[in-house]
Amino acid sequence: MSLDLSTLFILGSSYLLLLFGVAYITDRGWIPTSIVQSPVVYVLALGVFASIWAYYTSIGNALESGYGYLANSIGISLAFLFSPLLLKPLLELSRTYQLSSLADLVAFRYQSPWAGTVATIVILVGVTPLLALQIRAVADTANLLTEESSEVLVAAGFCVLITLFAILFGTSRRAGRTRHDGLVMAIAFESLAKLAAYLAVGVFAVYGAFGGLDGIDLWLQSRPDLVSGLKETDYFSSFHVSALLFFTAAVAMPHMFYMTFNESNGQASLTFASWALPLYFLLISLPVLPILWAGIQSGSDVQVEYFPVIIGAAYDYPMLTLVGYLGGLSAASGLIIVITLALSNMCLNHLILPVTQPSAKQDIYRWLAWHRRVLTTALIWAGFLVHYLSENTTSVQAIGTVAFSAGLQFLPGIVAILYWPQGNKKGFLAGLLSGVAIWLGFLLIPLFGDDPTITLTSINWSSIAALSLMVNAALFIGISLTTTTTDKERNSADICALDTIRRRIRSGLVAKSPEEFVRSLSKPLGQEAANREVNQALKDLKIRYDDNRPSSLRLLRGRLEANLSGLLGPSIAGDIIDSYLPFSIVARHGSTDLNVIESRIESYRSNLSGMAADLDNLRRYHRQVLLELPLGVCSLSTEDEIVMWNQALTEITGIDAGEAVGSQLQDLPNPWYELLHQFLREDEHHTYKNNFQLNGQKKSVNLHKAYIDQSDPRELNHEGVILLIEDISETEILEAGLTHSERLASIGRLAAGVAHEIGNPITGIACLAQTIRDEYQGKELGQLATQIIEQTDRTSKILQSLVNFAHAGASLGSYEKQVVNVRQCMQETLTLISLDKKSKEIRISTQCDESLNILGDAQKLLQVMVNLVNNARDASAAGSEVLMAAHQADDQIKITVTDNGIGIPEAIRDRVFDPFFTTKEAGEGTGLGLSMVFSIVEDLGGDIDILSPCNKNHGTGTQVILTFSGYFGASEA
Amino acid sequence: MYIPRTILILIVVIYLLFLVSVDWINQPSGAWYRPFFLGLLIILVASWAHRGRDSDEP
Repeated sequence: MSLDLSTLFILGSSYLLLLFGVAYITDRGWIPTSIVQSPVVYVLALGVFASIWAYYTSIGNALESGYGYLANSIGISLAFLFSPLLLKPLLELSRTYQLSSLADLVAFRYQSPWAGTVATIVILVGVTPLLALQIRAVADTANLLTEESSEVLVAAGFCVLITLFAILFGTSRRAGRTRHDGLVMAIAFESLAKLAAYLAVGVFAVYGAFGGLDGIDLWLQSRPDLVSGLKETDYFSSFHVSALLFFTAAVAMPHMFYMTFNESNGQASLTFASWALPLYFLLISLPVLPILWAGIQSGSDVQVEYFPVIIGAAYDYPMLTLVGYLGGLSAASGLIIVITLALSNMCLNHLILPVTQPSAKQDIYRWLAWHRRVLTTALIWAGFLVHYLSENTTSVQAIGTVAFSAGLQFLPGIVAILYWPQGNKKGFLAGLLSGVAIWLGFLLIPLFGDDPTITLTSINWSSIAALSLMVNAALFIGISLTTTTTDKERNSADICALDTIRRRIRSGLVAKSPEEFVRSLSKPLGQEAANREVNQALKDLKIRYDDNRPSSLRLLRGRLEANLSGLLGPSIAGDIIDSYLPFSIVARHGSTDLNVIESRIESYRSNLSGMAADLDNLRRYHRQVLLELPLGVCSLSTEDEIVMWNQALTEITGIDAGEAVGSQLQDLPNPWYELLHQFLREDEHHTYKNNFQLNGQKKSVNLHKAYIDQSDPRELNHEGVILLIEDISETEILEAGLTHSERLASIGRLAAGVAHEIGNPITGIACLAQTIRDEYQGKELGQLATQIIEQTDRTSKILQSLVNFAHAGASLGSYEKQVVNVRQCMQETLTLISLDKKSKEIRISTQCDESLNILGDAQKLLQVMVNLVNNARDASAAGSEVLMAAHQADDQIKITVTDNGIGIPEAIRDRVFDPFFTTKEAGEGTGLGLSMVFSIVEDLGGDIDILSPCNKNHGTGTQVILTFSGYFGASEA
Repeated sequence: MYIPRTILILIVVIYLLFLVSVDWINQPSGAWYRPFFLGLLIILVASWAHRGRDSDEP
């Protein structure tokens, strides 16, 4: 088949423009988010791994090693099938610490910029031939179709379009931290296109070339060599090594790391991909054998790898040829785009930024975006250059195998990240460099050398790859065990290790607020970038700008480091954070931030099983006991940071646990800070009845403290102090009430005695005075006797009041309860009050529903009401209004007596119920009225309260509120 | 070391299937697509084993 070069160019360009279109409309938001962020799109985007290797090279592999060609798909599928072992923990790590590449990951884990730099160089050297392979495949297939010597032109045109795409959709200013929806959608589209094309060619091979599956079987009977080659696969040598290469590639190859971790939507998507991606690879491996056999049957002399393209032409189906070609174009372009974007990030973070960094005056985002663009372009064209300069002597299998073998060298380092915290940077670098040296000396140089007789089989590549891996692992383990590991590295290893709970040290920061963070970071990043980064981190953590708690600031620092790591790589980010946001105190013995451990266990909870789950349940139970304890519990670290604040304490103090935990004791509002601080300084472990005012109310608390001793210095450090705060305000009120009642009772007894003792002589005096008055009527002595009688009457009245008071106080619980209608009682009160003609005129109104009843004594309630209305009248100006009202509140009846008088001054408010306390003129009142009312109400099982002033606007008026349990039996009956 | 249940199920299934199916795949008269049946079976088991929601997902 011969196509015009321009036709092919237009076709290829149109396809790539279609790709541009998909990315563009996704970025514009024209495709619903539910589709863009669906796990299916993620899985298809991961299909980028099925590059030219799966599309073309598999055919050659199938011919040479039979089912051995499946090692590619099996290796990557195993990585995803077992994602909880490797990929999921790495996803969590890379998302938490914004690690965008394998180089970032090793630099972060081994706390060494050199680890990142060496990893970048190894990946760069290993992957560039893979780039060249993609370009070569596109150029070769174009050459086959046009039969013109147009490879360079096609390759160059292809590179131009790919460069444009990568720059437009992959190197935005926020690259490295946000998901590139347009790019992901375009790559998913490519994966779908190449799968559809490959399946179409495969289906044609089965039904078009052989007339069905039976036709294949029939044809295979005539080719026993092919059948035996297929069935005699050596599963125990190169197959295993190949599978291991591709297993490692799931993390080690930059494009897979980029797609799996950077463009992921979370664990759920990866869970879906755990079985869906193997399905994709199964489908893309399925047509390989039929295509191979159809190609052989056609007798084509074209290189077997390119059978997917020429099969259409060989069987006279030109459209199928174009489909096959476009599928290959998809496979190549997708891989180049993603790999160069990932590599550009790595090169920037680990090769460029350690040497030169933008100054604070420059726009850092713009600087990074431009460097990324330049690097992406340079990498694509480096691939082109390698393709252009290399002679096509090396087989495509050899190129791919060499590239993937480079990735294998990272396997020990990757496994150690999650499963071997003892591994250190010296061991990692030594192992990696030795493995790479073997790979370079025995694989890369011989295969890319001038000697065409050297092939993968002749040099026994699988043994060399296995040897390099073994030497690498042995050196890594040996050197790690025999050399020292820095504290920083150990801390980082703990963070990464799967079965270690991170032991974050509770340390203070020099910067004491987010504002100071901005100020400090302005020096390296510039004002605008520092502001943006701090605000972004606060937004990510949902922390307010004014939150200055040490725990929040530590979280903010960690988040900033992670975010900057996404922008500049972990090494530079770590340097900036350590230099400009240093810790002020490294806590004594490194006390552990328990809240961090707790949140980590909470987030890991569903993974716990067996004894770990039981221990977790126990932990939760004990925690719940402390939280629900009806005593205020607060624990403090040695640095006076609040570690625990239970619900009872929230109720006592009104300070929410969310606000208190993580803050310093001194951040608590007064009076709590003063109270607790004072108590902590004292030697006493218990203090009682600490009285203070809170929101205008009296509060009284008992305080207790205990010190938590450090149990084992090697284990987690829990040193600190635990405080118990017992609110006894209500007990105090009850005690005061009881004392008051006691006092009333004793006064009552006293009054009864006094009344009795004085009453008799007074009666005698009155009798004598009456006799004198009667004897000396109209004379001066008679008038004096009359005055004596008036005074004895007055004394008698006072004595009568005393007797009444004593009687009321002594009759607790002695009356028979009866149903009292409140409205009726009010009416009687009105009648009684109206009889007193001497008093000033006031208007008395009532508001009471007829149905309101209480259980009690009608006479006593009447006495109370008369007393209260009398008091109200005395306090009111003539002609003003006094209101008696009653209403139902839930199952209680509230009776109020309200006047518009001058109110009760605050100074005497607490004493109005005291016996003999009065504000009236001498002779006007005994001071026993309200005291008696108090006793009677208490006797009736009610409650009395005074609101004064009740008219807040004018500051006048008094309202007495009586509360009784309502009686609803009558109405129900 | 903590190994999730999903992984234990899959390791056992894949190992057993591999043991019983190598001979079945390599039978001279067997269809060429037999390994793909095996692959499909493993994927079905995997989709079942991974069915649980990631409950710790924020």
